[in-house]
Amino acid sequence: MLNGRGSLRTLLIFGLFGVLWFSSVFANEPPASEDVGSVSVRMYQIEGSLPSEDPNSSQWDSVPSSEFNLAPQVHWPPRIQEVTVKSVKVKGVHNGQELAILVEYADPTEDAADAAALEFMVGDKPAHFAHGQEMLQVEGGPVNIWFWKNESGKAVDMSAKGFKTLESQPHQDVQAKGVWQNGTWKVVFSRSLKTEDSQDVQVEEGEWRSVAFAFWDGAVVDGLVKEKGGQKAVSTWWYIRAEPTADNSIFGWVILGLALAAAFELVIVRKLRKGQSV
Amino acid sequence: MKGPIFSGAIILAGMFIFLKFLLPLVTAPLPASLIYLYLALVLSGIMIYGTMSAPSLEAMMGPIFRFLSGKGQTGAGQIARLAVLVMFPLLVGWQTYSRLVPSDLPPAENRTIHPAPPGEFVGLSNPYPKTPENIMMGKGLYAAYCSPCHGANYDGKGPAAPGFNPPPANFSDPGTIAQLQEAYLFWRIKKGGVGLPVEGMPWKSAMPRWEEELPEEFIWKIIMGEYDGAHQSPRTWEEEEE
Ligand code: HEC
Repeated sequence: MLNGRGSLRTLLIFGLFGVLWFSSVFANEPPASEDVGSVSVRMYQIEGSLPSEDPNSSQWDSVPSSEFNLAPQVHWPPRIQEVTVKSVKVKGVHNGQELAILVEYADPTEDAADAAALEFMVGDKPAHFAHGQEMLQVEGGPVNIWFWKNESGKAVDMSAKGFKTLESQPHQDVQAKGVWQNGTWKVVFSRSLKTEDSQDVQVEEGEWRSVAFAFWDGAVVDGLVKEKGGQKAVSTWWYIRAEPTADNSIFGWVILGLALAAAFELVIVRKLRKGQSV
Repeated sequence: MKGPIFSGAIILAGMFIFLKFLLPLVTAPLPASLIYLYLALVLSGIMIYGTMSAPSLEAMMGPIFRFLSGKGQTGAGQIARLAVLVMFPLLVGWQTYSRLVPSDLPPAENRTIHPAPPGEFVGLSNPYPKTPENIMMGKGLYAAYCSPCHGANYDGKGPAAPGFNPPPANFSDPGTIAQLQEAYLFWRIKKGGVGLPVEGMPWKSAMPRWEEELPEEFIWKIIMGEYDGAHQSPRTWEEEEE
C-alpha cells in the first residue's frame, strides 16, 4: 500500500484532472435562445395517421405553433408595397413516414386566386430565398416550392434555380388541403418525409432544413387580382425539422457517470478514514 | 477557513474578476472557455505551490481531507459533507446528460455583417459633388427605392422590414454606414445581398441587387442622401490608414 504522501499525490493529480474537466464544462457557452419571435418550425412526432386531410382536426390543437412575420415583396420587380397577410402561424407533425405542415393566417375574404406556398432549400448548397436566385460569390442550389391555390384545391410540387426558372416537377409528391372560415385560412401541406425525387427536399429526422413562406390574397380589386406572381407576402429563410425520436441510451450513460462518481468518492473517503490523512 | 485555502480562493476570485470584467475594458471580452482555462491554470499553480513541502501540503489539504473523511464531525459540518458527497455524482450525471443530449437549437448564425468588398470596389470615391441638389435627388431616390425596407427615417424600420431576417440595416445606428466608406456602400447597393461572400450568408439577404435597376449615378447620389438623412458621415481613406 502507498504511504500517505504517495496516495495524496495521486489524489491531487486526479483532483487536477477533475478541475480541468470541470472548467471545460463551464466553457460550454450558453446556446442562443429563441426569444425574438420564432426562428424555427418543429414537426412533432405523433403516432398513427396524420391530420393531413383536415386543417380543423382536433389533432392540431395540442401541437405548439411558431409565428413568422411577412413582408410585402419589395426585393425584386414586380414589387408590391402593401399586402394582406402580415404574419403566419405554422404547426408541423410527422410519424416517421409522412409529414404535415399547417399554415394559418388572416385573410378577410375567400377568393379563387388565394394561394399559399412553402419553399425549401434542396441539397447541400445554400439557395437564395428568392427562388434560388443567382448569387455572385457563392454557388447556390435549387429550391423546392409547394404551391397551393384555392381554385385548384391541390398542391403543385415545383422547382426553381433562379428567377424565371420556376416550373412544375415531373414527379408530383405533395398534397394540400385548405379551409377558409371566419377570415382565416388554414392550409395543410403533406408529403412523405423522403421521396425518390432529387428535385425534392428530403427530410431527415433531427436535421434542420431551411423553409420560407409566401401568401397571395387573390381578392379582385377594380377587375384585377390584388396579389399574384411576384406580388405577394413573403418571408426569408427560417429553420424547420422533424423532431427525432428520443434516444434512451443517454440515460444508461448518465447512470454510469453517477455510479463512477459515487465509487470514486467511496474510495477516497475510505482511504482517508483508514488514517491516511496527513 | 483561513490559510492557503483562503488565499488560494482570493487569488482565483481576483483572477476571475480581472479576466471577466477588467480586461474587457481595454480589449475585446475573452470567450468563457479561455477564462476557465486560465483559471484552471492558476488553480493548478496554487496546488503545486501548496504541495511542494510536507508542511504546506498539510496546511493546504489537511482541512479538505478532514472534511471529506468526516472524522469527528458534528452538526453543520456533517450536513455539509453529506451535501458535497451527494452533489458530486449528481453533477457528473447532469453533465453527462447535457453533453450527450442532441442539440435542440437551430444552427447558430455567425453572419459577418461587414465582409471585405471585392477588389474592384476598393478605393472608389464619389464622383458627384455634394451639392444640395445632388443630396436632394439622392433623398428622393432613397424614398422611392430604399425606404420600404430601410425606413423613411433611415432607421431600418420600413413597412417591409418585419418580414426579413437579417433585418434591413439601420443607417442611423453608428454601427452601420458610419463605419463604412462610400465605396463600400457603392458595392453593397450595386451588388445587393446576392453579392456578399459566403461569410455574409448571401442566401438570407433581402437587400436587392440594384445594378439591375438603377444607373451608377443614382447609386452615388443615393449614398449622399443616405448619409445626410441619417446624420452620419462616411469613413474616409485617411481614417482607414490610421
Ligand atoms: C427588400 C428590402 C430592401 C430594400 C428595398 C433595400 N434594402 Fe438595403 N438592405 C436590406 C437588408 C435586409 C440588409 C441587411 C442584409 C445585408 O447586409 O445584405 C440591407 C443592407 C444594406 C446596406 C449595408 C449596410 C451595412 O451596414 O452593411 C446598405 C448600404 C443598403 N442596404 C442600402 C440600401 C439602399 C441605398 C437601398 C435603396 C436603393 C436599399 N438598401 C434598399 C434590405 C433592403
